[in-house]
Amino acid sequence: MADNNRVDQKRRLGTSAVKAILLTLPILLLTGLMVTGGQPIPKEAIRLIPLAVTYLFINSIFFLLIYSGRISRYRTILFVTYAACFILTFTTNLIETRGSMILTQENMVKGETPFCPMVIPMVIIPAALTKTIIFPGSMASIGSILVAWLGVTIALGRGWCSWGCFFGGMDEGFSKIARQPVIRNINRKWTYLSFAVLLVIVLTSAATLSPTYCEWLCPFKAVTEFEEITSAKVVVQTVIFFSLFTGLVVVMPILTKRRTQCGLFCPMGAFQSLTNKLNVFDVRVDTNKCTQCNLCVKSCPVFALDEESVRKGRARVTCSKCGKCIEVCPRGAISFHIKGTDVGGNGRTAQLMFIYPAFLLLAIMGSGMISGAIYRVLLLITTGSILK
Amino acid sequence: MDFVKGLMLGLASGAVCAAYCGPVLIPYLLSRGGNILNNLLTILYFMAGRLAGYLLFAVLAWAAGMAAAASIKSEKAVFGVIYIVLAGAMIFYGFKRAGGDCAVKRAGFLCSTTFPAVLGFLTGLNLCPPFLLAFTEAARMGVLWRSMLFFAAFFVGTSVYILPLAILGLGRRIEALRYVGRLAAGVMGVFYLYLGILSLKGA
Ligand code: SF4
Ligand code: SF4
Repeated sequence: MADNNRVDQKRRLGTSAVKAILLTLPILLLTGLMVTGGQPIPKEAIRLIPLAVTYLFINSIFFLLIYSGRISRYRTILFVTYAACFILTFTTNLIETRGSMILTQENMVKGETPFCPMVIPMVIIPAALTKTIIFPGSMASIGSILVAWLGVTIALGRGWCSWGCFFGGMDEGFSKIARQPVIRNINRKWTYLSFAVLLVIVLTSAATLSPTYCEWLCPFKAVTEFEEITSAKVVVQTVIFFSLFTGLVVVMPILTKRRTQCGLFCPMGAFQSLTNKLNVFDVRVDTNKCTQCNLCVKSCPVFALDEESVRKGRARVTCSKCGKCIEVCPRGAISFHIKGTDVGGNGRTAQLMFIYPAFLLLAIMGSGMISGAIYRVLLLITTGSILK
Repeated sequence: MDFVKGLMLGLASGAVCAAYCGPVLIPYLLSRGGNILNNLLTILYFMAGRLAGYLLFAVLAWAAGMAAAASIKSEKAVFGVIYIVLAGAMIFYGFKRAGGDCAVKRAGFLCSTTFPAVLGFLTGLNLCPPFLLAFTEAARMGVLWRSMLFFAAFFVGTSVYILPLAILGLGRRIEALRYVGRLAAGVMGVFYLYLGILSLKGA
């Protein structure tokens, strides 16, 4: 079966080594600029090695992805590496600049809270009603988050969740651990939960004029920054963060082999699904080729396919454009697709048109984190301390 | 005069009131999947319950007077319990037999007319900022009927902001909205439960 998959997949995107090298050239150039940030190449080995390794790693991944046509496999490797490196780079930077992972009231007053796109759905109504931004930080910083978000949404829509999000790789990583899922069936109704969470945080943020998701529900507080424990309320919040992280990001992905945080809970994912219309790409099933074997349904990590959607020939709005279904379909019936064009007619071109911006986003988001993490490891080896 | 004052206060602060009632009412309306007319009816039941809550407070305000108003404000335990009851109702509604048609149908007393009224009543007993203002104002009056008239007018003023929620009926054909509404009611209930427990702990 695995061989069948590869042969069929090659027909869709995989190509000869020479062509794959040629197709990798634009990424070689762009990531070269990105990794160095346009600065001269550093001379000290401890700075140079992380950049060189990151550059080689990212470009090898792109080459292999194009050459083999296994979009999901190679995306996953880079995406999970990026998420793991994010924790190391982010927390060590935090400790260096702020002294600890703890977020104090003073940090919040000074607006020293880092960028997080989750803020967007929570600030809209309070900003419209009260002309104030209910998140620590300036109008300018929120404005820049909005512009970045709009760019990503236009380019990829909910593809953000598989190609850009710094947290998505965590539950994806844990979902790869077990060989077989222990829990196979999840009632379809629960796939609406992330939209319910989105509705709740939008309403409660408007009512309380505070970012309620950040205060109460964000599982990633457990591995990034958390509020200083000064009251019973913060204790309760901290217990919730750790429980949600353990349950949704670690245990459930292992048991289900799915991305349960992203597919069932994350309100940012739901928000991206709602705004996905702004983006030209979607994932379509060629119903003429499909034999309704439902392999894709069983393998979609975010529950975006069910029998009904396969019959209708399109993934649900929650599709994160990870490419997994494209890879597992033995009939080569699924592909990235440009809205408004024939399904199955432009498979290869559409895939390439999607892969370039998607991969570039992943490279932009991941390169700094990966080189940062390598730098920290080298620092630890050479100086005995992970901090400068 | 009292009526005009109450009405003005309600109109001035109704948006905040709607922001407080929205988290309870919006998920419920979505989950019912009714048309605009059905939604209006549901909102009326909700508001009748809310009015009952307000009038109860009007009586309290009259009985307590200004001095006691301050002490009721600090009586967090009472509001903690109210939050927890509200949370219980919403969690039950949201998560009971997730996937079934209508969880409350099965529980006789929580039928489609009583339930929104109960939600409205419990919401009416919540201490949102505009409500506190109204309470303080009513507590100054010293005469029961004036206090009740004031609260009734306040209720009318704030209702102007709540009635338009009936428009959610436009999305009634989107089946997914019902699931989202139901689950959101449950999640909202969990949120109120936190608030209730924290209120009790701080009491
Ligand atoms: S699209 Fe492919 S994997 Fe999915 S049911 Fe059809 S043939 Fe099977
Ligand atoms: S439908 Fe396919 S591309 Fe979309 S999230 Fe599911 S597996 Fe990934």
